[in-house]
Amino acid sequence: MQEFLQNYVYLIGSMSLIGIGLYITLTDENIFKIIVGLNIIESGTNLFMVAIAWHPKAVMPIYTLTNKLSINGKVIAADPLPQSLVLTAIVIGLGTTALALTIGIKIFEKYGTLDVRKIKEAEK
Amino acid sequence: MNIFNNAALLIGVPLLFAFSIPLFGLISKQLTKWVTLFTIGFNATFSLYILLAHKYPSVVVMGNWLPPFGENLYVGPVAALLVSLISVMGLLIAIYNLWAVKRGDVTRFSVLFLMFTAGASGMVLTGDIFNLFIFMEITGISSYALAAYGPERRALGGAFKFLVVSSIGSTLYLLGVTLIYTQLGTLNIAEIAARINQTTPGLLTFAGVLIVSGLAVEAELFPFNGWVPDTYTGAVNGVSAALSGIGAVSGVYALFRIAMTVFGKDGMYVSTYGKLDLMAVIAILATATVVIGELSALTQKNVKKMLAYSSMAQMGLVAVGFSIGNELGVYGGIFQLINHSIAKAMLFLILGVLVASGIGENLDDFRGLWKRSPFLSLAFSVGAFSMLGFPLFGGFWSKFAIVGASIQRGGWYDFIIGLVLFASAVEAFYYLRIVSYMFSSSEVEHPKIRVSLAPAIPIFTLAVSIVAIGVLPQLVGVFSSQAASEFVHKMSGYVLNVIPTITAH
Repeated sequence: MQEFLQNYVYLIGSMSLIGIGLYITLTDENIFKIIVGLNIIESGTNLFMVAIAWHPKAVMPIYTLTNKLSINGKVIAADPLPQSLVLTAIVIGLGTTALALTIGIKIFEKYGTLDVRKIKEAEK
Repeated sequence: MNIFNNAALLIGVPLLFAFSIPLFGLISKQLTKWVTLFTIGFNATFSLYILLAHKYPSVVVMGNWLPPFGENLYVGPVAALLVSLISVMGLLIAIYNLWAVKRGDVTRFSVLFLMFTAGASGMVLTGDIFNLFIFMEITGISSYALAAYGPERRALGGAFKFLVVSSIGSTLYLLGVTLIYTQLGTLNIAEIAARINQTTPGLLTFAGVLIVSGLAVEAELFPFNGWVPDTYTGAVNGVSAALSGIGAVSGVYALFRIAMTVFGKDGMYVSTYGKLDLMAVIAILATATVVIGELSALTQKNVKKMLAYSSMAQMGLVAVGFSIGNELGVYGGIFQLINHSIAKAMLFLILGVLVASGIGENLDDFRGLWKRSPFLSLAFSVGAFSMLGFPLFGGFWSKFAIVGASIQRGGWYDFIIGLVLFASAVEAFYYLRIVSYMFSSSEVEHPKIRVSLAPAIPIFTLAVSIVAIGVLPQLVGVFSSQAASEFVHKMSGYVLNVIPTITAH
């Protein structure tokens, strides 16, 4: 059980985060909560990307005299590429969130509400 | 492998000027619009030079790391053609914006517009599956902000919807890319394409479904296109023209680059690896898009909303053409993409001029337009005829090619003949309704509309090019058939041009 948890907890956790986020985004009617949902999806994806590059016995991917990256020709270092991708994805997520919040504030200024249904009614 | 590193300027120059525009904005707000114009003008000139001087196929190598290491750009027939299309459309819309964008924050609008074209060009040029995601986000984030620009509050709702749907889409895409990376350990499109059958079929199928649903958002395919009507209607007309003339082009390109080159299996007709044929899935989604888009457009009384739904339907037709999977079908798809991009952008620009001169967006407001402005009515009619595929206008040849391709393929693809005819009939109904309203007389005498030079240049150029393509389809046909052959033959068309030493497994 412990080994199962060690191996899969991040994968399961990231997938459930994505599921929770999708559920919030698709069902909620408050614009602010939708933005929170988007953020949760992004966190889930980022966690997933870090998790696939890692395994319980991985060492850091920097070569030093004491930190051997491979044993008997088998690489044991964590894969550094997904982590650099995650950095990019985090920055992009930040930009999207900032823009979404800006549009949300503007919507509140113009409509006086953050409820998606009321905004739709006001349009008609 | 030809190396042509100068092609990186197509992305670098717009990005450089996009970020230095605030400095120009300190001098004068008018200046920023001219800087945008000249930057995109450089892009248009350079990309047309690449296209006409036949500088492709070539690879742009960053930091001397040859692919599959490092990040490369690939200028093939497809990229050369679509970058030219994107930059020329961007140039024409920038000319229109000189006149249209007066109020609000002109400086930031120019920054966003330049970022938008740079991102779209990057999406078309890149040879790296993760860079595609980054450029998709550059295009995406700038287009959400552009869509929210404008005096009307309905723009905000449309932009927010676009933002939510599109961010979910790009996250799904990223997840799919990660899954492929876990299998192959590379992000280079050419290398993934060559080694795609070394993956686990189940995981590959899952990744494919995630990627296709992510990219279908930008390509406006059902059921991921709920944002289209609201965003197109809410945005100012120049932005709607840019979204349909530039954003949709790069979206469709990305979708079929992944579906045909990365997942594709060479054969008589392109199908994909994995347990599910993604091309057939796309064909079904695109058919649904055409039917739903056309029928929704039919019921609209608001012309702008009608154009938005029609844009959705036309993108569906483009995807149907591609998904037939033989050379003629892809040829028809690319041709249809170019026709749609030209004609729909022109219709939105005309609508922008009409709205600015006090005419509403409703169908009734078009009554008697011929008396008020013969130029705009004629241009609108040319666009409408091209949309519905009238002979001697651009749209005819592309629809003809799509029908021809579906006859070649046979089997259940025969229904595409019916689909195209259905689409044309419905389009004929609602476009000709507008045209007949324009040429009917109205009881009330209205003053004539004066069209200033800045919006007249792009409208005139686009109308002339529609007629020119209709009379001489070879103008575009030569390039689209080269592009079609790149899409259909994945090894000889794409992979071996990027990595000559690779062997398919």
